[in-house]
This record gives sequence, structure tokens and C-alpha cells, in this order.
Amino acid sequence: MAPSRALTRLTLLRRAPSSALRRYHSYDHPAPAGIFNASEQAILSAAYKHVPEHGFTQHALSLGARDAGYLDISTNVVPEGPFSLIRYHLVTQREALAPRREAIFSKDANAATTVPARVERLTWERLLGNRDVNHRWQEALAIMAQPSHVPASFHELALLADEIHFLAGDTSVDPSWYTKRGGLSVIYASSELFMTNDRSPGFGDTRAFLQRRLAEGGSLSNAVGGVTQWLGFTASAGVNVLRSKGVRI
Amino acid sequence: MPPSCEKNLMRIMRQMRRPHTRLPLHNNFLLSAAFAPSSRRISSTARRSDATTGTSEAAQSKSSNPKPRKPLTKEQRDFLSSALRVNQTGELAATLIYTAQTPPLVNAHPHLRPLMAHMYDQEAGHLKTFNSLITKHRVRPTALYPLWSLMATGLGWSTALMGREAAMACTEAVETEIGEHYNNQIRSLLEMFEQWEAEGYEVGPEFRDLISTLRRIRDEELEHLDHAVEHDAKEARPYWLLTSIIRAGCRGAIWTSERV
Repeated sequence: MAPSRALTRLTLLRRAPSSALRRYHSYDHPAPAGIFNASEQAILSAAYKHVPEHGFTQHALSLGARDAGYLDISTNVVPEGPFSLIRYHLVTQREALAPRREAIFSKDANAATTVPARVERLTWERLLGNRDVNHRWQEALAIMAQPSHVPASFHELALLADEIHFLAGDTSVDPSWYTKRGGLSVIYASSELFMTNDRSPGFGDTRAFLQRRLAEGGSLSNAVGGVTQWLGFTASAGVNVLRSKGVRI
Repeated sequence: MPPSCEKNLMRIMRQMRRPHTRLPLHNNFLLSAAFAPSSRRISSTARRSDATTGTSEAAQSKSSNPKPRKPLTKEQRDFLSSALRVNQTGELAATLIYTAQTPPLVNAHPHLRPLMAHMYDQEAGHLKTFNSLITKHRVRPTALYPLWSLMATGLGWSTALMGREAAMACTEAVETEIGEHYNNQIRSLLEMFEQWEAEGYEVGPEFRDLISTLRRIRDEELEHLDHAVEHDAKEARPYWLLTSIIRAGCRGAIWTSERV
């Protein structure tokens, strides 16, 4: 009995993140409802205004509930407490990128012509979304690193990396689809951490950090691509030489 | 009209699959007499009926206010993303099989060059279609991409080395599985449409395009099947062993790519 229950729990756990993985995106049919329902949305959006002052805390949630016209106790409808508030920040900031895409690229059209340049621009734009809560972000990272919140946090990171590549117009359909998104996730997470200690005006140091990391990633992928291309060329040239010698392969 | 077409085709395919392991000669005759013309007839009617319904609906939606469209459920989105992913993987494998088969095969039988080039070009076109579809609809490509590339190249190359008949038997086995696979997808999509229409919702042009693309590609794949049979696929020895191994491999690959 016990092992089977453990097994179902394990499959449930494994299914939980995969059920929310990236799925078919329709242009004609309306999008499904977001992850927050109406009352959660009301409380969280009101509580979010208190974050710069009170941080991602239960206190901010209660203040938000009161502002939205609910009782203090109604923060119970937000099951994960402060983590829901963090998630609200992540989701709203991610969803805010798509409508701003045109504005972002029309501002400096000359700089963002290639996909990597657009990825850099969008990632920077997303980092700037942390501006108002940056002084509270280390607390948020600590909450996100709690074991029960780790899968959801990684999932949000993956969604962000995918969103940025989609908006940047990336059209890779081979294993580079995975390496690009994985690489950007790592770079974004480290830049975000760097930003929490950045005191430079306009977070200039963070942007330089981000650009250095992206350049390193780019040169690494160039090197790997070059080696792969050389290997493929040598192999096919070898086969062709053998064929020209009359070997029937 | 379209569902009955699918059913007809499925019946034909089933008829064609059952006896041919035992009666190769008789089946050859059956195939060329019944199957090839009917598949062409089906494809043309399907396309025509699609076109007419498409235009009449466009006219309707212009004159009166359009019907609402239903959001996709989680199951439908899962189905669509795994369908597009597995199709892209399949077309990738098909282009690689033909790429690997062509040099040894054309070297031994130069008269096959135009046929191989024609089949390769069609597969490359399909791959391009599905590449753009999975990018557009934000579907993740298969994670086992390198594995499938290796296996498809190996399959194409080894069957080409075994000779013309084995290469054609490989094409026949692969295209039989693929044709059936596309038919299953088309049937699920039509069920989805029927349900929407029964509930009073409209089917968006995105899905009408998708189903006509799938139909066109399925017909072209079945045309390759005809070509393979015309070029003595049934003469391969041992035919039953070769085709059953390849078909089991195809089914396994389809099952895996739908998930990973």
C-alpha cells in the first residue's frame, strides 16, 4: 500500500511541472485563463504595491487584502503566501514584455537587428522590470530557493527564457533550441543576482555583466558549431573519397 | 464529406496491409488498380471541398457577425504540440533517409535519380512546413534529435547497400506507418472540429489550414508508397522481416517523439 502511494505521489510530482510545460500556442483561438483567479488577482495586485516598502512578506499580503476590500484573513485564498506574491511579480513582468516588444525595438532599431542582439535587449528590459523591487529581491531569491518552491521557480525561469527567444524571433528547431534557452536561463539568473548588489547609476554594471556573459555564451556556441561543422565536413569528404575510389558505400 | 474520405482511405489502407504479406502478386495488382487512383481522387476532392467551405465561410463571416471561438483545452494543446513535434521529427528522419539512400542507390541504378530527387524534394518541403509550424506555435522540438538523425541516416544507408528492392521496401514500410499516423491525426482534428461545431463555436482558419496541410502531406507520402511498390519493393528478401522491423521501429519512434 505504502509503496504504491509513494509511487503515485512521485508520478504526481513528476507530472506537476510537465503539465505546465510550453504547449501549442494558438493565434486564432483565445488563450486559456491565467494561473491566478479573480480574487487572487485582486489581492496580489494590491499587495504588490506594498512590496517596495514591506518586501515579499505576509504583511504586504494582508495590507493588499485590506486595500482590495477583503478581510485580513482572506490572504488564505493565496495558498502559497509570499511565494505567490513573488510568482505574481515573475508572471506579470514576463507577460509585460510582449506588448512592449515593438516599443523596445523601435527605440534603437539599429542595434537590435540580429537575434542575439534582440535577446540581449529583451533580457535587459526584463532585468529593468526588477528595478522597483531590487532592494527586496535577495529575500525573494531566498524564498524561491526553498525546496518546495524550486520546481515552480525553475519553471518560471524556463518560461521567461522561452518567451525572450520567441519575442526575439529565434527559429531554431534542433538541439540548439535547448542549449539557447538553458544558456539564457543561467545568464539571466546570474545577472539578476549581480543586480541585487549593483549600486551603479542606471544599473550600468549589470548591463555590462549581462553583455559579457552573453558574449561568452556566443563564442562558446560558435566554437562548438565550428567543431561540429568541421567533423561533419571531414566525415562526408572521407566517404566521398572512398566512393571515388570505387568502394561501394 | 471529409470524415468519410478519411474512413475510405483507412479502409483501403487496411485492406492493403492485411493480405500483402501472404499474397504479394495479387496485392501488387490490387494496389496499382485500386489504391493509387483512389488516393489521388480522394486528395483532389478533399482539397476542393476544403477550398469551397473556406470561401463560403469567409463570405459568411464578412456579412454576419462571426461565431465565437473556443479556447483550446489543456488536452487539445497537448495533442497539438505532440502532433506537430512528431511530424517535424518524422519529416526530418524522412529527409535524412532519402539523403543517405540516394548516393549508393543512384550509383547502382542511375535511372532512379529523378525519382529519388523528387521524393527528397517533397520531404524537404514537408520539413520546412513543420519547422515553420513548430516555431510559429511555440512547440518544443524533440529532445532526441541527434538520436533520430543517426538512426534515420543509418537506416537509409544500410537499406540502400542491401539493394534497390530493400531500399524501396524501407520506403514502403516507413510511408505505410506515416500515412496511418497522419490519418490518425486528421481524424482527431476532425473530431475536435465536429465537437466545436456541435457546441456552436467556429473553427479558426489556423486549424483549417493545418488540416489541409496535413491532408496534402499525407497524400504525398502515400504517393511515395505507390512509387516504392511500383519499383519492386515486394521483391525484397526477406520482405516480411525487413518491413516488420522497420515498421516496428517507426511505431516506436512515433510513440517516443510524441512524449520526448
